[in-house]
Amino acid sequence: MLNLLKQTRGYLRIHVSGFSPERFMNLCSNRDILLWDIEQDADGYRMCVSLQSFYRLKAIVRKTRTKVVIIEKCGLPFLVPVMQKRRVFVGGLLLAIAFWYCSTWFVWDIEVDGNYRITTDQLERFLKSRSVRTGMRKDELDIGSLEKEIRKNFTLVTWTSAKLDGTKLLISIKENDAPILSEEDLQKTVTGTDLVTEYGGKIVSMVVRSGVPKAAVGDEIEAGTMLVDGKVPVYNEDGTVREYILTDADADIMLEHIKEFKSTLPYEYVAKEYTGREKKQPYIRIGDNFEGKIPVEDPYLIYDRVMRQSQPLIFEKLDIPIFSGSYTYREYRNVEYEYSLEEAEKLLNEKLMVFLSTLEEKGVQIIEKNVKIDTSDNGWIVHGEFLVHEPVGKRVVTDRGVETSDE
Amino acid sequence: MKTDIKKNSNQNNTNVKKMKLLESLQLPKDVCLGALRVTLTGNEEAWIENYKGLLEYSEEAVLLQGKNCQVRLEGSALTIDYYTNEDMKISGCIRNVCYL
Repeated sequence: MLNLLKQTRGYLRIHVSGFSPERFMNLCSNRDILLWDIEQDADGYRMCVSLQSFYRLKAIVRKTRTKVVIIEKCGLPFLVPVMQKRRVFVGGLLLAIAFWYCSTWFVWDIEVDGNYRITTDQLERFLKSRSVRTGMRKDELDIGSLEKEIRKNFTLVTWTSAKLDGTKLLISIKENDAPILSEEDLQKTVTGTDLVTEYGGKIVSMVVRSGVPKAAVGDEIEAGTMLVDGKVPVYNEDGTVREYILTDADADIMLEHIKEFKSTLPYEYVAKEYTGREKKQPYIRIGDNFEGKIPVEDPYLIYDRVMRQSQPLIFEKLDIPIFSGSYTYREYRNVEYEYSLEEAEKLLNEKLMVFLSTLEEKGVQIIEKNVKIDTSDNGWIVHGEFLVHEPVGKRVVTDRGVETSDE
Repeated sequence: MKTDIKKNSNQNNTNVKKMKLLESLQLPKDVCLGALRVTLTGNEEAWIENYKGLLEYSEEAVLLQGKNCQVRLEGSALTIDYYTNEDMKISGCIRNVCYL
């Protein structure tokens, strides 16, 4: 605090030399002139004195026959004349401060959080219709009524909170987690579906939860065969069918069959070889549309471009969309290479592993596998045969025609 | 010579009387007698009040004039942080405080 006062009033660092500098100091203290940071040097003393007191030193200097030399001028009174010479700089500085200050009056970003079923676009459209948009003044924003309106317009929203964090408007909502059934869902009736097999093979296990099984464990079946019927017959006492009840067939059926995998890899491939020559093009981006950059004529014959973008911290905190960055143009040549056996094996194995992982995701169990890597006129070929246990059962709508013929 | 001795004995008598009076009234001696007040913090800082003036100052020693005596602070790298009519602060490595 004391330092701030000294800086605002201004002070001088002086050098006192002569017959009796101690007397000079005593006279200063007698006349209530504050001296501080007194240090001795080779031919006198160095000390600080306030600017106002400095003008009162003249009489003391004459009386004590000392010599006072100003070493340093510190504080605001000495800064102002310097600043007067640099008007453009000071003007720019003041304008920048004014710009930052004014920019804090507005909302520069709107963030919506917690929406799952209501899309951000829907919310943004709603906010726009209520004149809540980026660039609006903060004092025009009525957060309480905005929260109420969101709850009123979106029945799914059970809780909402809007708050201003700096220049950012944060809207947090919570949607109703319980499923809301429409009237159509409630009136929906069971149409009846069968389960059919997508592949041919041998059934190894079968657990039927609803419907009538049409095949048994150990049966060899072809693709498209019905496995479980969605029409459940209701018999009369004499054993004749009275009616059919339609149901959605449901079962866990495992089918043993052979799955094939085939993939090829050409002998040659083209790869980029960078020459090491690069050109940088700095740019400044404001918003999504404006981009100012130093023009660069076609840098190289073949090149790729790498973009690096960053946002200065102050813009990031204020959420002002001003970015700086650079494009780097890197020259390269297309060079043809040939796969070696190891490389080809590695790449083909990777493809095979991707295929196997997709099978695992589907719940397929691999019982046996037989994989070969061969060469052909076009390139490397990998061919695999897998004996698998795969869950089957595709839903198809039950044919009701039979129902009437049975009657 | 005789008159000097008489003067001194008179002064001593008045001082003793003053001391007795101050003690009985429980008044601070530095205010009433104008005694030097030296406050030391470790061996690095010293606050001095009730001095009349600075007689000598160098990095090794500071000599101050009090009302009745002189005080000499010895040490190394001694600097005067501030110096006013009321008090002063001395910083540095203080090794010795001498009353002369």
